[in-house]
Amino acid sequence: MNRLFDNDWVGPALVCLVAVVGISILQPSFLSPFNILVLLSAIAVNMVIALGQLVIIAIGQMNLALGAFGGLVAICFVAVMELYGVPPVIALLIGLAIGTAAGAASGFVIARTGISAFIITLAGLQIFKGINLGITEAQPFYGVPQSVKDFGNHAIFGPIPWLIVPMIIASVGMWYLFNRLRIGRYILAVGGNRTAAELSGINITATIIWAHAISGLLAAIAGMMLVARLQIGQPTIGDDWLISSFAAPVIGGAVLAGGHVSVAGTFFGVVIIAIITQALVLFAIDPFVVQIVLGALILWAVGINRYREIRVAKLNEAR
Amino acid sequence: MTDVTADAMPARRQGSGLLRLLLSNEFGLAVLIAVAFGTFALTLPGFTSPFSLFTIGRQIGIDTMIGLAMMAVIVTGGLDLSVGAIGVCAAMVFGWLAQAMGVPLPIAVPMAILFGASLGFINGYAVVRSGVHSFIITLASMSIFFGIMIFLTKAQAFNQLPPEVTQFGKTRLFGMVSVLLVITLVVCVALSIFYRFTTLGRQMLAAGANPRAAELSGIRTGRVITACHMLTGALAALAGLMLTARTGAAVPSMAGHLGQDWLLPAFLAPVLGGTLLSGGRVSVIGTLLGAAFVTIMTSGLLLMRVGEFWILACLGLILLAAVLTDRLRQGVLRKRGLI
Repeated sequence: MNRLFDNDWVGPALVCLVAVVGISILQPSFLSPFNILVLLSAIAVNMVIALGQLVIIAIGQMNLALGAFGGLVAICFVAVMELYGVPPVIALLIGLAIGTAAGAASGFVIARTGISAFIITLAGLQIFKGINLGITEAQPFYGVPQSVKDFGNHAIFGPIPWLIVPMIIASVGMWYLFNRLRIGRYILAVGGNRTAAELSGINITATIIWAHAISGLLAAIAGMMLVARLQIGQPTIGDDWLISSFAAPVIGGAVLAGGHVSVAGTFFGVVIIAIITQALVLFAIDPFVVQIVLGALILWAVGINRYREIRVAKLNEAR
Repeated sequence: MTDVTADAMPARRQGSGLLRLLLSNEFGLAVLIAVAFGTFALTLPGFTSPFSLFTIGRQIGIDTMIGLAMMAVIVTGGLDLSVGAIGVCAAMVFGWLAQAMGVPLPIAVPMAILFGASLGFINGYAVVRSGVHSFIITLASMSIFFGIMIFLTKAQAFNQLPPEVTQFGKTRLFGMVSVLLVITLVVCVALSIFYRFTTLGRQMLAAGANPRAAELSGIRTGRVITACHMLTGALAALAGLMLTARTGAAVPSMAGHLGQDWLLPAFLAPVLGGTLLSGGRVSVIGTLLGAAFVTIMTSGLLLMRVGEFWILACLGLILLAAVLTDRLRQGVLRKRGLI
């Protein structure tokens, strides 16, 4: 029993279960097919965003530019379709390439100069957001093809939206990366103990660039998913990713110092945030309260993680 | 100029003093400012008009204050993402006191600053007690502070402030010096004295440079770090008030969503000015020069009709260029054995 509770995802999963049961008793429309569809669409997008931050947390850094990557990719994705008539599949590949390249570039600067990721990604945030606004002049692109709109708003069957598909691919991919692939192991090793990783022959520079490139790729996917869902190339896409991208992994038990992450935990973190956001809407509570709740959730999760760390340390001492 | 730079561990001074001065961050910035200002003054008509100088000075005053607020917490090796949220919250409290409650300004202003300091205290207390990095604590608190503020104000501005507030923001000395810039200069001098000559200021630098050593030499690091966060809160509140005086209203969106718009000026000025992100070293004059450089570049680029949307990208590039140059400078200094 105790060993079960040492899993990162069990606590958040229990919270999800209690929240779903509690809210659906108070407000039966919570479990209506339409509401589930909306909920799952929100979860799908936010999970990919959270994974984009998770891979950087794994390496012990942070990516403030995540939203700026996503926003730039989103408007480029629509712009090439609207202005040059590029088919959606090619536009998708262009978007993925831009996100990955932007991530790799910021990873390259961080790894080669050794300047803190915070400052580099803060600069990156302004640069990419600036390019975004420079291109769009804060006006949205409207020319989203019908197929893309359908992808973002139609269900596969019942209340399961198509948007779930990229989320599942990204989640399984990240799980596979961290648990089975060498580069994922390297990322965790560098995050856990950089010196030890370096001494055991891991190429630190390459690993950091990989992590940031993957982060950029995931931001690109999330940005384009949002285009499909909103049916419009909004320049403001990505502006509000910062808090939630950290909240979900932290609630899911990620250690911010790096070296330890949980994809399943992050998923339940995303679900908790989505449920709370939805519940506030259902109960007609001021949407601004979401901000307060999100902040409180981060503090609560940090407190729990801290408590577990202390408990583990005590157990180790007792042995 | 290096005199004004407060350093926890006085560097070995055997190197060539002149070269050290020439390679110092502050000197480099001063040269850059002179070059930028000279170029704009010669090529852009109207750049040196009294009104233009007044607006530039006003902007320098506000941006420096935001930078100083962040600098006060960077000293400890931490950071505070919630500066913008604190600044707006304090400005809204001021607006509520001055407009809705009719509290006289000489009382409302200190109360707003005190309110900022108490929000900073909450941050500091949470950081010290939890032992979690200030990044995540202040990420949470920026969301909470801003959320509560929007919830209480219903996103409405206080735009019927006493006329003295707007009047103050418009005041010019000698026809071109903003009174806001004067306030900032006074705070700069006070902070320089604080970090150099007072016990608490020295303790802040020591706790930032090496917390363990500071603890062993009898400094109560926890309290000192909390004090740093309070200072940050107070300075952020002051910046929020200055912005209110400039706008003539306390607006919830004046620092953008969650106060994020302040993050760039907050880090740009101290980092350009040579404050170490790892803590233990501050440069008040560097922060002032950093903010001045950014403001002059922004105004110049705007006058050149670069387009305000591209300015953001330019500022990001400036920040990137600044940290890269700093790396280069340190490399040169290290090679010559100056640090």
